[in-house]
Amino acid sequence: MIFHPTVMALFVGSLLVTFMILYSASYALLILRKWDLQSGSELQLNLERKTYLISTLIAYAFGFELLSFFLYVFTADQMHTFFVGAMCAAGSLYANDYGYPTLIVKLVNFLLAGTWLILNYVDNRGYDYPLMKTKCFFFLLLVPLILLETFLQASYFLRISPNIITSCCGTLFSADTFALPTDTGFLSSIRAKAAFYVTLLLTVGTGFFFFLKGKGAYLFSAVSALAFAVSVVAIFSFISSYIYELPTHHCPFCVLQKEYGYIGYLIYVTLLGATILGLSVGLLMPFRKIGSLSEILPSFQRKLAVTSSALFLVFTAIVTVRILLSDLILEGY
Amino acid sequence: MIELKDIRKVFNSGKPNEFSAVQGISLSIEARKATVLKGPSGSGKTTLLSLIGCMARPTAGRIRLFDREITSLPERFLTDIRRKTFGFIFQHFNLIKGITALENAMLPAYPLGEKSSSIRKRALNLFELFNIAPKAYSRVEWLSGGEAQRVTIVRALVNNPSVIIADEPTAHLDTKLSLEFMGILAKLKEDGKTLLLASHDPVVYESAVVDRVVNLRDGRIDGAGQ
Repeated sequence: MIFHPTVMALFVGSLLVTFMILYSASYALLILRKWDLQSGSELQLNLERKTYLISTLIAYAFGFELLSFFLYVFTADQMHTFFVGAMCAAGSLYANDYGYPTLIVKLVNFLLAGTWLILNYVDNRGYDYPLMKTKCFFFLLLVPLILLETFLQASYFLRISPNIITSCCGTLFSADTFALPTDTGFLSSIRAKAAFYVTLLLTVGTGFFFFLKGKGAYLFSAVSALAFAVSVVAIFSFISSYIYELPTHHCPFCVLQKEYGYIGYLIYVTLLGATILGLSVGLLMPFRKIGSLSEILPSFQRKLAVTSSALFLVFTAIVTVRILLSDLILEGY
Repeated sequence: MIELKDIRKVFNSGKPNEFSAVQGISLSIEARKATVLKGPSGSGKTTLLSLIGCMARPTAGRIRLFDREITSLPERFLTDIRRKTFGFIFQHFNLIKGITALENAMLPAYPLGEKSSSIRKRALNLFELFNIAPKAYSRVEWLSGGEAQRVTIVRALVNNPSVIIADEPTAHLDTKLSLEFMGILAKLKEDGKTLLLASHDPVVYESAVVDRVVNLRDGRIDGAGQ
């Protein structure tokens, strides 16, 4: 194990989160089994009081989950100097079998934890705990994923050694590894960009349409998910190349480095934030029928949609500016 | 209007000093009437008032206010109900020293975000109504017991609540002032306020203003209310 401050922070933080999650899970199970708002029993009133503690614990744990995704990537980037062959986080994560699985699980947990936090926020606006059982069920689904993340991350950090020879991102994300549209010619590059911009235009369009008309929530959420996937492919495909000004380099991690003004953090924060908010608009749709939420939910969903659209726009603007300012010309090569 | 169903309140539950202050009380309190909870010290009067006034939560049981169940409400909703529905008159007045009577009376209205000038106007009208306008700008430590009591009444009314809760309101007043206080309550009842008092003072529970007396003993209702 490498005793780096951020490694220790992630390690200790994940253990604390695990403790908080397990403690909360026992009450979440009890709530799923025994919750009955019509009852005035001592157990029910005790559970009602406990929900404040549990919701707060989970909210802090999931808040840490959001931060820990970026801290993990930052840590991997910081550690690359310890490994022979590593040039950025890509190499550090490749140093053993647990680096990339941890990253993937962290990404999934990031999206799910963010969505849970929005669900929790909405539940707290209702006077009769309208989403208590729903959010407990959702939380219990997340528990195994959080535990898996803790295990994978601990395995990654505990089994890592500075003596390891790893691969650099040039090898891991080369044109050979990623047969992406930009590597296959002019038309493909244009097509990739067209797919990216059309998807994002569609996403922002449906987002603003929902904001103005209050219709198309599910469509907006579906398109947000699609925009996330297309954007990730676009980052690998051509956005990274434009930023590095190197057509053969597709690393999604080097953008997090000082040489590129840490722009990667801005790109990923806006993209992930927009996706979470976009997904939440559709997720909240079935709860509009609940009496205590029927008044507040439509306006809240509109706020989510417009914020998500704005973040997608900021994300698009950042990458577009970098593409326009780049000296690289992909088309025709 | 206020329905209590099998209310229990246990302090220090599970500990050696566990104490059941209220033990399974079911009660219906009518709107726009004066109800007195009567009983000796330790009978559960104050605890019951604090449960009805949303200042504490029961250990078990449910309370309905205007057909809305309030014991399960999250804290932020309870706060709102406390501010808008109830006006409290405390045994020890609980006025804040160092500031004026008017400033004390205006305090419960500040969190609602209303303009200070309109709160001040409303409070001054109430000072006029209860004949203590000359004392509005006096510091509360300079007031007599009767004057302090009136300031607490103004403070309880500043948010125009529908229910006035008074806990042993005459405990620190002589008979003359206590009768004056009951006169004020009669006026409030005429205005449509629901009055809920805890007292073991005969001046209160034998007053013509009072519609119903609920006898409490050892945390239980003792016999039928009159």
